[in-house]
Amino acid sequence: MKRTFYLEKDKCKGCTNCMRKCPTEAIRIVDGKAVIDNEKCINCGECIRVCPYNAYTPITDKIIDLKDYKFNIAIPSTTVYGQFTLGTKICKIHNALLGLGFDYVYDESWAAELITKAIKEKVNDQKEIRPKISSNCPAMVRLIKIKYPGLVDNIVEVEAPMEIAARLAVKKVKEKNKNLKDENIGVFYISPCPAKTLSVKEPIGKSRSYINKVISLKEIYGDMVRELKMHSEICFSNPSLTGLKWSISGGQTDACDFENSIAVSGLENVVDVLEELEMGKLDHIKYLEILSCNGGCVGGTYNFENPFVANSNIKHILKTIKEEKIINDDIDRYEEYKNKGYFEVEIYKGIQEKKPNIKEAIEKMDRIERIYEKLPSLDCGSCGAPTCRALAEDIEEGIKTIDDCVILKLEGK
Amino acid sequence: MKKIKSYKYQINKNDFVNAGKVSSAIKRNLKKIGFTNRIVRRIAVISYEGEMNIIIHSQGGEIELGIFENKIEIKINDKGPGINDVNLAMTEGYSTAPSEVRELGFGAGMGLPNINNCSDKFNITSSKDGTKIQSTIYLE
Repeated sequence: MKRTFYLEKDKCKGCTNCMRKCPTEAIRIVDGKAVIDNEKCINCGECIRVCPYNAYTPITDKIIDLKDYKFNIAIPSTTVYGQFTLGTKICKIHNALLGLGFDYVYDESWAAELITKAIKEKVNDQKEIRPKISSNCPAMVRLIKIKYPGLVDNIVEVEAPMEIAARLAVKKVKEKNKNLKDENIGVFYISPCPAKTLSVKEPIGKSRSYINKVISLKEIYGDMVRELKMHSEICFSNPSLTGLKWSISGGQTDACDFENSIAVSGLENVVDVLEELEMGKLDHIKYLEILSCNGGCVGGTYNFENPFVANSNIKHILKTIKEEKIINDDIDRYEEYKNKGYFEVEIYKGIQEKKPNIKEAIEKMDRIERIYEKLPSLDCGSCGAPTCRALAEDIEEGIKTIDDCVILKLEGK
Repeated sequence: MKKIKSYKYQINKNDFVNAGKVSSAIKRNLKKIGFTNRIVRRIAVISYEGEMNIIIHSQGGEIELGIFENKIEIKINDKGPGINDVNLAMTEGYSTAPSEVRELGFGAGMGLPNINNCSDKFNITSSKDGTKIQSTIYLE
């Protein structure tokens, strides 16, 4: 898998914070620097979040990339509206984007409302699989593929709101400007996290992404704040209230209005729930919303505002704006887009399972167990592996030796 | 067929603090060995239901997981007091769990039927000295 952020080696002190937080144990410290195994990385962004030295840097496109296209479309993530002072008008935010050089703004929330309908239908149709799991958070889809492959069939296969938004935006723009060619239109997504950025660079389904460029919200936040001050409050359209809820944990289940659905946010909580799900403990649940970041997408690492303030800002918008100011006929054309297959996506299941050599695998586990028993069980991370068990596995694979254990060395063993 | 490996896990009565840990460990091991998702899921359900039965209904017991070249055997044995009417206990929805246990969300009367449904071969014997369940799953 690709990655949408990189490590600045000069800044990395090898402190082990990211290594211990990584949900897939993808990070090791080698020669005093963090090294990420791309095969295991799900681009959740936990390492970016916890790094005390800001050594992880997002790979993001920039405003200057607008010049590559004749016509530029901005698709602000649903979290964007939570990033500015309470009471900031939606139209000011849209106008700020236009001020930065975009020619058209298409709201992700409109697409999220359409997809809410698609999810409802799919979950109701597929009664034999419970619970169905949300596919909105690409980091969680990757987590399931890597750590819980038995749950892949539980994932609802619907297209992501950002992709639908991109398709519909391009369609709209071409209707108005008949001479515009596809290659002259740039679709920019304003992203709250590395996971969504990656799903443009490397889509989860087999299909291509309809988005051309991804700018992290932090990258243009300063510019947007400056622009905000310069614009009037002339509105062209409000976001969809149903779709806007998607930015906060519980918003999607709320929008779908299922009985017996649960919403889980934060990686550690999600892992706990998926473990229970594997034991058949949650078969009575209809829909399970899982989001990698605490508080939902407002907790994404590329956001500026802390997730609690952003949550409050979003809720303020939900209370104060009026649905009738939505000037977008796409929302009423669900059936048409459904029939055209817009919402269908196939999640690539990965390599087929092969029959294990049980004997060999058990012998390997026994070897790991014997190594593990010698280790101090402190999980201190000083050896450069996140836990003693991970070190035992690394030793068995020949990547490390028992001499890497600092504690055993200190004890002179 | 030769047994390749067996794992034994002790379970104490009324130990809700550790409830689920044994079946989690079993699941983790099977995943590491590389059994297919379908197999792992069925054994996870069997061992979880067995573990909860021992915690809720018995004086304590153990789960033994036996891995063979062509099958996996799960033995769920407890120290009593035994099931009065095994046929009734196999009925979906029938439960003798006390209300305080039901308040915790357990005791829906699906334990034994679930184990049966997930097994290729299922055998249960019960006396006042204990209940013995043997569940077999053949490898695909």
